[in-house]
Parts: sequence; C-alpha cells; structure tokens
Amino acid sequence: MFRIALKGIVGRKARLILTSLAVILGTSFLAGTSVFSDTLTRTFDNLFSDVFKNVDAYVRSSQVIEADFGLEERQRISIDLVSVVENVPGVRDASPDIQAFARIIGKDGKPLGSDGQGPPTFGSIGEEFAGALWTVADGKWATASNEVVIDEASAKAGKYVVGDTVKVVAQSGSRDFTLVGIASYGDVRSPGGATFALFDSATASEFLTKPGFIDAILVSGDGSVSDTKLSAAIQAVIPATAKTETLTGAQITLETQDQIGSALDFFGILLQTFSFIALGVGCFVIYNVFSISAAQRQRENALLRAIGASRKQVTRAMLIESVAVGLVGSTIGLVAGIGLSSGLSALLKALNVDIPSSGLVVNQGTIVSTIVIGLVVTVLSAILPARRAGKVPPLAAMRATALEIAEPGRKRLYGGLLSIALGIAIISAVIGGANNSYLGFGILFVFIGTIVLGPIIARPVALFLGRPAARFRGITGVMARQNSARNPKRTSRTASPVLIGVALVTAVTALAASIKGQINDVFTEQFKGDYAVTTNNQFTGGLSPSLALDLNKLPEVDKASGIGLITVKLNNNGQYFTTIDPGTVEGVFDLGLINAKYSDLTPDSIFLAESYSLRKNLPIGSNVTITLGDATQRELTVRGLYKFDELAGNFVVNRAMIANSAVVNFDIGVYIVGKNGVPDGEVQAALDKAVKKYGQGELLSKAEYIDKQSGQVNQLLGLIYGLLMLSIIIAFVGIIITLLLSVFERQRELALLRAVGMTRSQVRTTVRWESVITSLLGAVLGIILGIGLGWVIVFALKDQGLTSFKLPVGPTIVIMVMSFIVGLFAAIYPAWRATRVNILDALNTN
Amino acid sequence: MTPQTLAVAASTISASKIYGSGEDAVYALNDVSVEFYEGQFTAIMGPSGSGKSTLMHCIAGLDELTKGSAIIDGVDLSTMKDKGLTELRREKIGFVFQSFNLVPTLTANENIRLPLMLGNDKGDEAWIQNVINTVHLQDRLTHRPSELSGGQQQRVAVARALASKPRIIFADEPTGNLDSTTGAEILSFMRKAVDELGQTIVMVTHDPVAAAYADRIIFLADGKVVSEMTEPTSGKVLDLMKTLGN
Ligand SMILES: Nc1ncnc2c1ncn2[C@@H]1O[C@H](COP(=O)(O)OP(=O)(O)OP(=O)(O)O)[C@@H](O)[C@H]1O
Ligand SMILES: [Mg+2]
Repeated sequence: MFRIALKGIVGRKARLILTSLAVILGTSFLAGTSVFSDTLTRTFDNLFSDVFKNVDAYVRSSQVIEADFGLEERQRISIDLVSVVENVPGVRDASPDIQAFARIIGKDGKPLGSDGQGPPTFGSIGEEFAGALWTVADGKWATASNEVVIDEASAKAGKYVVGDTVKVVAQSGSRDFTLVGIASYGDVRSPGGATFALFDSATASEFLTKPGFIDAILVSGDGSVSDTKLSAAIQAVIPATAKTETLTGAQITLETQDQIGSALDFFGILLQTFSFIALGVGCFVIYNVFSISAAQRQRENALLRAIGASRKQVTRAMLIESVAVGLVGSTIGLVAGIGLSSGLSALLKALNVDIPSSGLVVNQGTIVSTIVIGLVVTVLSAILPARRAGKVPPLAAMRATALEIAEPGRKRLYGGLLSIALGIAIISAVIGGANNSYLGFGILFVFIGTIVLGPIIARPVALFLGRPAARFRGITGVMARQNSARNPKRTSRTASPVLIGVALVTAVTALAASIKGQINDVFTEQFKGDYAVTTNNQFTGGLSPSLALDLNKLPEVDKASGIGLITVKLNNNGQYFTTIDPGTVEGVFDLGLINAKYSDLTPDSIFLAESYSLRKNLPIGSNVTITLGDATQRELTVRGLYKFDELAGNFVVNRAMIANSAVVNFDIGVYIVGKNGVPDGEVQAALDKAVKKYGQGELLSKAEYIDKQSGQVNQLLGLIYGLLMLSIIIAFVGIIITLLLSVFERQRELALLRAVGMTRSQVRTTVRWESVITSLLGAVLGIILGIGLGWVIVFALKDQGLTSFKLPVGPTIVIMVMSFIVGLFAAIYPAWRATRVNILDALNTN
Repeated sequence: MTPQTLAVAASTISASKIYGSGEDAVYALNDVSVEFYEGQFTAIMGPSGSGKSTLMHCIAGLDELTKGSAIIDGVDLSTMKDKGLTELRREKIGFVFQSFNLVPTLTANENIRLPLMLGNDKGDEAWIQNVINTVHLQDRLTHRPSELSGGQQQRVAVARALASKPRIIFADEPTGNLDSTTGAEILSFMRKAVDELGQTIVMVTHDPVAAAYADRIIFLADGKVVSEMTEPTSGKVLDLMKTLGN
C-alpha cells in the first residue's frame, strides 16, 4: 500500500504541487513572521548591548512612577553627583547622561525625523568619555552653550556641514546652535534610525531638562574591581538623600533589552496571531484539495477496493500522501518564510530604519515548529477526506461518473442550525449581562455553524449571485452560474476562506468606523476652539508649556489654553493627570463641569470625573494625597466633578501646581479661539507664524484636528488590514487551486464545448464568472457575519466607553468590489489552462 | 442518384496524417481523397485503427492534416486559425459523439441550442421545434442529461447537431453505446433528417446494420480508402467485409 501511495504521489505532480501550495503559504507566513521577530529582537538586543558596552556602572534616581502603556517616569538626579562618583576608587571616568526629546530642524524649516511615529528624536550629551560610543567623525565635540553636534545620518538628511547654524527644538523651546561636529555611533551613522543632537553636559542639562539635572551617570571602571563591587562602592558614597540606585553595566543592558523585548514581543505575538489565522484559513484549502482529489480518484480507489484492498489501506494510502505533502510543503514553506522575512527586513531598510544587521535569526525552534505545525495541520485536514476515500464502495469502479456525492445531509442542516442557535444564545446571554469572556465562544459557534451550513446555502446563494452573469453573459454566464452551483460542497469549501477573511476585515472595519464615529462625537462635544496645536509626540515630550502663553499674547487670539499631561502616583499606582489653565480653558475645552466653575480649580485642588468620584467614594470636599514625579507629596481637595471623561480622564489639576518644580511637564495640545471680528485667515496666519517659530507642533483647524484624531485609528486599521492580507492571499490561492482542479476534472466537458464551437475567450469567460460567483459567495456571507461580529465587539467594548455601532457602508461596498476583483484575478491562470485543453485527447479518453 | 449530379459538401485531397517520423512513422491516413455529397448519408467503415476517426476529425477541423487538404463548403481548413475553425465548427458542422455528448449542467433544451447560443444566434425557431418534434423530445426539454436515458441523450445530441442547420454532421459511432433497439431509433432519426430535412451526414461505424442506413459506404484500411458501396444492405456489407478481411 505504501508503494501504491508513493506511486500515486509521484504520478500526479500537478496535484502534489497544488496541495503543497496551501501548506507552503500557510507555513511560510508562520516561519516568516517568527524569523522576522526573532531577527528584530536580536538586532535590538545587539544594539542595546552595544550602548552600555563600555559602561561598568550606571547611577540613576531610585524614584520612579510607573503608569499605563508600560511607560515610566523616573526622576532626575543632580549633576553635582558626577564629581562625587568620579572620586570613588576604581572609577576611571564618569560622564553625565541625558536622553531627552529634541528635534533638529532642517534648512527648509521642517523638522528631521518623524513626529511621534517611527524612530525617536533625541537630545543627549556628547563629550569625551572612556565609555562613549559616539565618536566625532568630523569637527569636534560641543564645548560651549551655543554649540551642537549631530549624528551623521541627520547631517546627511539635512545636508548640514560643520559651521552651519542648526535650529534645535527641545522641551524648553527652540534655539539656534553652531554645528561644530558630526558624530557616528559605533559603525552606524545613527542608532536605529533615531536622530541625535549632542551638547556639552551643562548645555544639555539646561536646554533639554532642568538646569542642574541629568538622567543618569555613566561610569567606566579602571578594571581594579569587579563591576558589582564598583557599583556597590559608588552607591555607598552617594548620600541617601539623593535617592539613587547604582546598577552594573550588565544589569542596565539587561533591563533595556527587556523593555525593548517586551515591546517587540507584543509585535511578534501580533504577527504570529495573524499568521495562525492565515494557517487556519489554509486548513480549509488543504481540506478542499484533498476532498477534490479523493473525489477525482474515486474510481481508482473503488478499483483498488474491488481487487481486494481494505478500507483501511485506501485511507492509509491517502494519509501517507498527506504526510508527504505536509513534509514537502512545510519544508518549502520554511525556506520561503526565511526569504519573506529578509524581504521584510529590506522593507525596513527602505523605510530608512538603519539597524545594524546581524543576519537573519533562524532559531531551531522556528524550524521545528514550522515543520511540525505544517505536518500536523496537513494530516489533520486530510483525515476526513481520507476516511471518505476508504468508504467508497467497490461498485463505484463500474460507474462512469466521478462526481462527489453532493447531497447535503439532514445531519448537516440540524448540526449547523444548532451551532448557530447555540452561538446566538451565548451572545444574547452576554448582551443580557453575562460575562464578556463568553462572547468568543458565541462568535465561534456562529462561525462554525455558518461553515457547516455552507454546502446547503452555497447552491441557492450561488445561483442567486450568478443571475446577473447568466442574464448579461449569455450561455457562458449560464454555464458559469451552473458550474458554481453544481458541487455545493466544493464551492462552499472554496468560499469559506474568503468568508473568514472578509468577515474579519468587515468586523475590524465596523469596529474602526464605530471608534472613529465616537471620537468624532467626543471631540465635537468637548473641543470648543477654532484651532489646535498638536504633536504626535505625546509621551516622550510634547509641546513646550510656554507655547500656549505666547500664543495667548497674540492680538489675533482671544484665548489659547494648553492642555498637559503629568504622571502622578496615587495610592501607589501611576496615573495620568490632565493639567489645565483655569484662566483660559473656559470656552476652549469643555469638561462638562457639574456645579463647579473652572476658577474653583486652585493649585491645591483637583476635579474628578463624576463616575470615578462615585466609584471611589470621593465627594466634593474630600482630600487625596499624590506623589509627583519629583518625589514631593501634595494634598489636594476635590473641588469639582465633571461629566466628560473621554479626553480628560479621571483627574484634572491646575497646571500652576507643578510650575517651578522638576516634574516633567509638557503640553499635548494647545486649544485656541480667535478674537471676535478678526478674519479667520489673519488668525491662522498669525498662529502659523508663531508656531513655526517654535519648530514644534502642528497647527490645525477645528475640522482638521477632529479628522486627525479619528485618523489615528486608520493607522492601526492599516496594520491589521496588512496582517489580514495573509489570510486573504491564502483564500485567493484557494480559489485558484479549486478552479484548476475543476478545470482538470472537466476536461472532457471543455473539449466537447470547444468541439461544438465554444471559442477560447468564451471558455475564459465561463471560468472567470464561476470564480467571481464563488468569491462573491464568500464575501456576501462574510460581510453578514462580519457586521454581526463587529456589532458584538462594539457591544463588548461598551464598558471601555464605546457606545454606538456604526455601519461601514462605504467600506462594505469596497469589500464587495474587491472580492469581485479577487475572483477575476484568481481566474486568470485556471481560465488560461482551460483554453489549452486538447480537444482530441480529452474526447478520446473514454 | 449518381455522384455526378450531387454537390460536394466536404472533401479531402491527398490527405495524409502521419504520427511520429522516420522508422516509427504511423500513417493514420495515407493519401486519402474522398468527397461527401450534400443531402447524402455516408458511412465510414473499416477495422479498428484504420483511420476512420482521424479522417473525421481532420475534415471537421478538430485535427490538422500532415499533408494534403480538407475542404468544407469550398474552404481549405489548413488556411484557418483556431478562431476561424471554432466558428466553422459552430456554424457549419454538427457533431454526435459516441458518449459524453452533453454538458451536464445544461438542460436538454439548452444543450440543443448550445452552438446557436455560443454564437449569439437565435436560430430558426420553427426549424428547431421541427427537429425537437422529429426526435420526440418535447417532454424532456427541461431535464438535465443525468435525468435522461442513454438513448434520449443521443437523441438530444442529434437534435443539437441538427439545430443550427449545419452544412454537414459528423457522427463517430453514435450508436456504439446503445442497445440495438435504441440504436435503430437513433439511426432512423438520422435517416429521416437526411430524407425529410435534407441534411448531410457522415457517420463512422463498425456495425453493418447501422451502415445499411446510409446511402453510401466508404471502406478504410491502413489509412487508405479500399472500397466503396452505394445503396448498401447489411448482407452486402457483411459480404464485402469478409472479402476485405482476406
Ligand atoms: N496521437 C496519436 N499518436 C500516435 N498514433 C496515433 C495517435 N492517434 C491515432 N494514432 C494511430 O492512428 C491510427 C488511426 O487511428 P484512428 O483513431 O483514426 O482509428 P479508428 O479507425 O478510429 O479506430 P477505432 O475503430 O478503434 O476507433 C491508429 O493506428 C492509431 O494507433
Ligand atoms: Mg475511432
């Protein structure tokens, strides 16, 4: 039997290739994404092991506030500690370190690097230091308060040469410097594509942070003691009141790698999740191919049975074939995946992310898991078709037709309906108040039910969808319509991957539309200004607080009010507090105050969101104690509650509270109302000029600002679309494979049609419309399920503040059109093959 | 009726079909010149492998000759490309094969009109009704091939071949898969089409009884025309076959 199975495989190379194709695609995405994320992790690991390569000890503040999104705010330390550390025995050299927000402005007035997305833009210290990785490639280090050194990549991008004047924007505002040097980082022009402006330590401290403060001290030892001993010695010398901690070089390296690693892990998990979805979609294709090939071999298998092969032997022969296909497919998939990931790396390079390449990382785990998963998935997908092949009656050898037994059974109908009913019951229960976590099961049951019912719905729906083709395309359309309905099981198995892909795309689109709608509503309700200055750099440094004050002084402006964000420790949890200026906020930003005036918000007061106040039992008049980023404590009295917490969050404080403190303080936006009677154009021109002078932030009109907020959802949507493309590609290839197999199967019919006068272009039309009908079948069902799924997810996010479901009408039409186009493209090769059928050969095979 | 008084519907001139080359060359047709007359029912007979199907395929534009020419309606087929040949088959030729004659997804009615529909041609409705009536298919029109008996399927095939009023119909062992009663039924329909509708039919057959329905029989052996007979009876055919066999 084994020999027969192998002969069967070798004898039908085309079928082997087609079956393997689905396995190859599925496993290549799996391998590709895993190699890519491993490579990325390794690259950044290397990058950060280099950063502290020559650092033996690292001194920093022990005061830190950890907040949401994995962000933390660490307090700064005094620059005076550097000289203390320098005198510790065993220390060869110590250097202050600052890494803060700074943007280099190009000669055309546009900032270099990207704003908030992609690699960060840094200001740092560039000085002679034994442990430094920066080396001056041209010129010298900055030594005066009006001198700057920039990284080689930025110099190239901005066409700057030594001697030029360079404008740099930092927290405290913008300033012109003389470019005295160009630096390179190890052997790359800039680390990870970030831009760097380097100053001497005094200037960096004063310009980038607060005068006299730095982020950390980098220490290089003389080798006389171990790093651990050196760190302990340093920590022992620094007074406890300075609240510092001292890490060894290895510790800080590990910590940085972990931080980056967890961010990359998230990215990796996202990639892997979507490649698993794609693989699941691929299962349908594999299952379909095995089913079709079992049907096409029905006579052959019946003959084997007739001459004495047992059921088991027939089944086993097919399973052996699936093992071969799984092994071959996943091995090729692995290789293709490695190629895919190097393509992704090349893409990053093209996007100007200059990461020192350390070659692709192909872990043993990737190799093993790709092949094992590919093999298991293939064999599992082949089990049902193989068992069915074994069940073929020996009598079938005598029958002329090799058609699949296509009558969908009663069991299927009841099973499918039951599954859908169960799913809907679970979803209803969740809507009625049951735990949200059951929702997934409800959705799963509805999906399974729909797919089980597929063969029953496929015929009527395909016939319905094929109507226009039959009407407007004459006999070719009639035949396409009949062909798509002639084998409902096959059609529905081909359409299922499309269904899943389209359902996910539709659900994500519906979710995004709802979120965008909501953002729109919220901003329209709460943002009352005519203009806004914003920055994409909301967490690593935003707008200088002085911008709002300066804009407020413009004669064309009625009011300009800055909205800021600070990180605060409350009950030992990091929290974001919104800071406002009560003097100017009225009529610019609406909190929906309840029984309070903005003027009630004195520097020792706090406003709370009404819901938070109720939940935590903090009524007006009660007190809360908070710890600020500079480790000082404040006692605040609740002096007001507000309704609108979507933008402001739960806490609003007066920005005067943190004035003149060492707390990192920047605005995330400035909201502006123009002066009455001044034409819009003049207001805008004045604002534009003022903002440009600052070199930070972006001036937007009310409409632009609101659009931009919802536009951020589009970026995420784009990423998810991109990842879902993997599934769509497999669905697409699935259609191609099925069509090809159908074309092979219908050779005689095609030959007959050609003999009685069907032209090649008519043959193509027939295949094409069959493909389009199949694709639309998946799309229509997918859209229905997707809209339902989207609605359910929006409902589940009710607690997260998402209140209204929006039907994405436009995108739905686009999805239909795309499915139509996908059908057209999938048909190209099979249609061409169909026209190549040799009439005589096909007619002669009686 | 003598051949001289009849118009030629199709013919070959020194037609040869050679498979392979050199030592291994197989002459499926070897210098065959035949004429098929309009309004006549011609049968082609000969032992298996004598080139009957090859001759038919070459005249019908399904296959190409190696040497010589095949002419239908005055047009030399070797001058035509795939598109022209396809149109020729659709408009001027009707086919009846031994089996697998019908498109399984189309109804009997659609199968009958298939060549016309492919050409976007409505056809002559009165004629089509006449054909349908002649082959007794009135109550089977909405059925699909799987719902028809073998004989009914062949009748649909004959009706399809007739529906577009082709210049000539080629039938390759049309009754080969049928029992003798059903076969006789099909043959009398074909006979009727020649007598009453004026069709031209060329039929390949092994069966002397079937051949006896024809006006004229051409005998092939080893790719050559070896004999010819007019107004045949099954007895005469058997006798001739015996002499040829020797
Ligand atoms: N594609 C081919 N390659 C090689 N030889 C071929 C090919 N097709 C036909 N032949 C040969 O040509 C000769 C004529 O074949 P053809 O099919 O015309 O015979 P036939 O008279 O129709 O026979 P039958 O009564 O068995 O149908 C045969 O010897 C056959 O082996
Ligand atoms: Mg033959």
